Amino acid sequence: MSEPLQHMAVHSPLNGTTAIPWRSSRKRLSLLEQLKGCQEAWCPGAPWDREGAHAAITGTPAGSFLVVRDAVTSQPSLLCVSAGANNEEVLDYNIKCTGTVFQLSESHLSFSNLAQLVFFYSLTRDVLTVCLSIPRWIYSVTEANKDRLSQLEPKTWLLTPAEQQTDQMTHSEPSNMMCSIQLTSTSGALCIINPLYLHEHGDDWLTHKVTTSQGATQLSNYRRERRLSTTRSWAGAGLQSKRAISLDQEASAASTENSGLIRARSADSPDCAATSQTPAGVILRRPSQDAVAALTNRVSTDSLSTSTPSTSGSTTPELQRHSSPVPQSPHRVSWIEDGVWLPPPRPSSWLQPPSLELDSLSISSVEEEQESIMSSPAQHHPSAHRLADKVIHRLSAVGQALGGLVSHRKRLTNRVQELSERKGGAFAEAVKGFVEIALKKGVDPGRVTGSEILQEVRSSLTSLREMLLDSLEIQTLLDSPGDISDSDIDSLVELSIHKVALKPVSAHLYSCINTSLTNDGTFERLQNNLYVLEKNGVEELGGSAGVGVPDSVTLERIQQRWASIHKAYSPNKKVQILLKVCKSIYHSMTANSNSGTVFGADDFLPCLTWVLLRSNLVTLQVDTDYMMELLDPTQLQGEGGYYLTTLYASLYYISSFRPRLAARQLSVEAQQSLNQWHRRRTLHCNQSRRSKHRRTIRRQTCQEPKPEQKEGNNPGNADESQQQTENGTEALQTLKEEKENDQGAKDQSQSGTPTSDCPPMTEGEVVTGKQEDRQGSCVAGEVDYRGEERKDVR
Amino acid sequence: MSSRGSGGRSNGTLPQTKICQFKLVLLGDMAVGKSSLVLRFVKGQFDEFQETTIGAAFLAQSVCLDDTTVKFEIWDTAGQERYHSLAPMYYRGAQAAIVVFDITKPETFERAKAWVKELQRQASPNIVIALAGNKADLAEKRLVEYEEAQTYAEDTGLLFMETSAKTAMNVNELFLAIAKKMPKTDTQNPTHAARHRGVNLQDPDAHSTRACCGGN
Repeated sequence: MSEPLQHMAVHSPLNGTTAIPWRSSRKRLSLLEQLKGCQEAWCPGAPWDREGAHAAITGTPAGSFLVVRDAVTSQPSLLCVSAGANNEEVLDYNIKCTGTVFQLSESHLSFSNLAQLVFFYSLTRDVLTVCLSIPRWIYSVTEANKDRLSQLEPKTWLLTPAEQQTDQMTHSEPSNMMCSIQLTSTSGALCIINPLYLHEHGDDWLTHKVTTSQGATQLSNYRRERRLSTTRSWAGAGLQSKRAISLDQEASAASTENSGLIRARSADSPDCAATSQTPAGVILRRPSQDAVAALTNRVSTDSLSTSTPSTSGSTTPELQRHSSPVPQSPHRVSWIEDGVWLPPPRPSSWLQPPSLELDSLSISSVEEEQESIMSSPAQHHPSAHRLADKVIHRLSAVGQALGGLVSHRKRLTNRVQELSERKGGAFAEAVKGFVEIALKKGVDPGRVTGSEILQEVRSSLTSLREMLLDSLEIQTLLDSPGDISDSDIDSLVELSIHKVALKPVSAHLYSCINTSLTNDGTFERLQNNLYVLEKNGVEELGGSAGVGVPDSVTLERIQQRWASIHKAYSPNKKVQILLKVCKSIYHSMTANSNSGTVFGADDFLPCLTWVLLRSNLVTLQVDTDYMMELLDPTQLQGEGGYYLTTLYASLYYISSFRPRLAARQLSVEAQQSLNQWHRRRTLHCNQSRRSKHRRTIRRQTCQEPKPEQKEGNNPGNADESQQQTENGTEALQTLKEEKENDQGAKDQSQSGTPTSDCPPMTEGEVVTGKQEDRQGSCVAGEVDYRGEERKDVR
Repeated sequence: MSSRGSGGRSNGTLPQTKICQFKLVLLGDMAVGKSSLVLRFVKGQFDEFQETTIGAAFLAQSVCLDDTTVKFEIWDTAGQERYHSLAPMYYRGAQAAIVVFDITKPETFERAKAWVKELQRQASPNIVIALAGNKADLAEKRLVEYEEAQTYAEDTGLLFMETSAKTAMNVNELFLAIAKKMPKTDTQNPTHAARHRGVNLQDPDAHSTRACCGGN
């Protein structure tokens, strides 16, 4: 198939993977498109000349730029770039424009249009002294509001600070920024030092504190004091540093009704006023300042004569924008805050891998830290803790500033939280109602089972999620920049819902499951069979010879993870931890074997069972039921679904082991409940996704499953014994029960003789040999089977 | 391009084609080589493109057809008889199954037949079942004749191939054959339509503009 054809296929409505009109109308523009859209702003026409541009640029952060056109040819001729607010210097670069090619005269690189040139130099310095910086708000421009770009003017372009990305971070905790470098160099983890700075100022500032005997402690105290004081003088922004980063995006995302100018303004300054509201009426908590008035003034004074931004407002805009009170050295700003050491803003999609990395780094380090606290609390010196906290904080702040997804996550979670707390809001009411109802529910023996309660909870959670996804607030939020797929959005919203709705009721749900599992005897069976099985080695559980099991240290760690599974209220989080447990089981399995040996389910299931027999089965059963019923249906597939199924299967194996006389009945019941569960869960696993599109799909889904439902209503559907009955070979049923009894006896007897004389493979042969006979003649099968099984036991 | 396509392997890039995702369950006696077979398929010669999974019991791999990428999520099951009753939990909802036996062990073939019977009775009605006679490299120890298995497969409407995880014989071919038999219309399978709407192929940031098997 040729590529054009394939392309057509992509757009064809049949394919079902695209064709989301809702999404396409909100399609994010590429940075290049965005730059082109507002070319008039950064490459203004006639009245602008070199002097005008310089006047406008002076005092702006490094990298701020304008392109000036030649007065005669009106071709772009000069690129004027600010060298930084402190230098008050504007650098000029001549632009050569030969026909259709643009290039800087000092450079050999040429570009087919001006926007490409600007785009390139925003990423790479090449011959420039600093990279061009592009205002961050530009990323929020979408297809829908791109016309506004063309209305922007040069003053606006410059006044919306391009350095915001780094500014946000550095300004919020100015003293911290410096310290974090000292700190990281102390720990040897990370050291970013601008050689130019050292050249200028020496390294006394760097080495002074850390070389003293108690350097770290002093440093952190000092730092804390500094932060406290600067925080106070700086309108409480210290604590909101992270928030400020997301808020600016929030504002830009939420204010599609507002003009790009206003948005730029509000995004501009970290100290934008508390009066700023999104159209949806959500109050953005910002440090309060009278800056909004100033900003509004600035917007209106968009005239050429205004040579500096500091024309209005009661506070100096310079101070506002760079709000780095008490800079320790005039140059500190230029190399850290003015974006020289950080790459300039880029399309967030480019930054996702690093940002994710940073994020995961920070998360994992937090987690590891927690775990190490758990295991050895004495290891950490308190001050070391504080230092580590700061590193983590710093890293995650960088991660947030750089990447769309991380801040998206936070923003979304925060917004959902806000919505759930808003008095009188529809969503808040819905959540409140849900919590009230859920807390009133209780297990009623014979009438209401635990899983029924959980099912109702699940469907409520789904409704709440639909409600959120359809709400204007969330839609506008999702609309903002950041490469975030629908499935990510779904899971983000799902997680947020867990936080606001599931968290308050999770303890109650546990107790419902507990009651239910006590009533139906599951706990008792688990406990009884645990005594029977617990001494079995992994080979007796069916694992092949040579497969490893977790050592005591790993086992201890696994127990800790089980505990954190129980602590987690979100089923998704639980599954994540489960995957970690499975991973360490795999690791133990292969630890002693030859490299290259691969263990599949034949060995994993026995190993997991072995681990479970050494864990708190009751709690695990509760958590498993919780996950099975409450996990977002889409999560039931894939790896999480597989290992959850395996956990469930393993617990089921233990609880139904040695079924003896009640075997058949119990098995039927268990299988039936499993059937019901599976039908319920697989049928709806396709619901979800957003909005109307989502509903359409679900409607289809709901119509689909009729045949299966019918099948499922047949009580013995998945039951082995039932199928055998269907075959009309009732004798086989007896056989099966006896076989199970035999197996129980065998396992018991084997527990006395840990080394079985027949390797697992032989055992498999024996068993399948029997199976063959079962298929043929039941009488012969029975005889054969018992004969061989006894041999086996011997 | 074409060689890659014939091998039915994914090169891991995001294809500009329809993506269908299917759950495939592996059944068969213990030690017949279920995991090895899948591992050979998943790792093959394109190691770097395999999806990272935590272990071999669950693996995912894609096969490229002309205009469709078929992604298999492969659920391995424990083959021991004692775990037999757990199998329905795994094959429920599966759209494809590979029942594996060992050509040097007739009893595994009989067990395979039992699995097929069970699947046909209780798995999803439209499940695509393939029978794999594994360890074909051990021809001198063969105890299950090719013709016998072939005839059985024909009679029961199964795909059948003799495979060798060791030499990779027929491994990719088997998965490719299954992929070809899978229903491809998304509407027929809303699961996949829903799951994959997230793949926005019009995304300006999508790296790849070429389908992985575009040459075919």
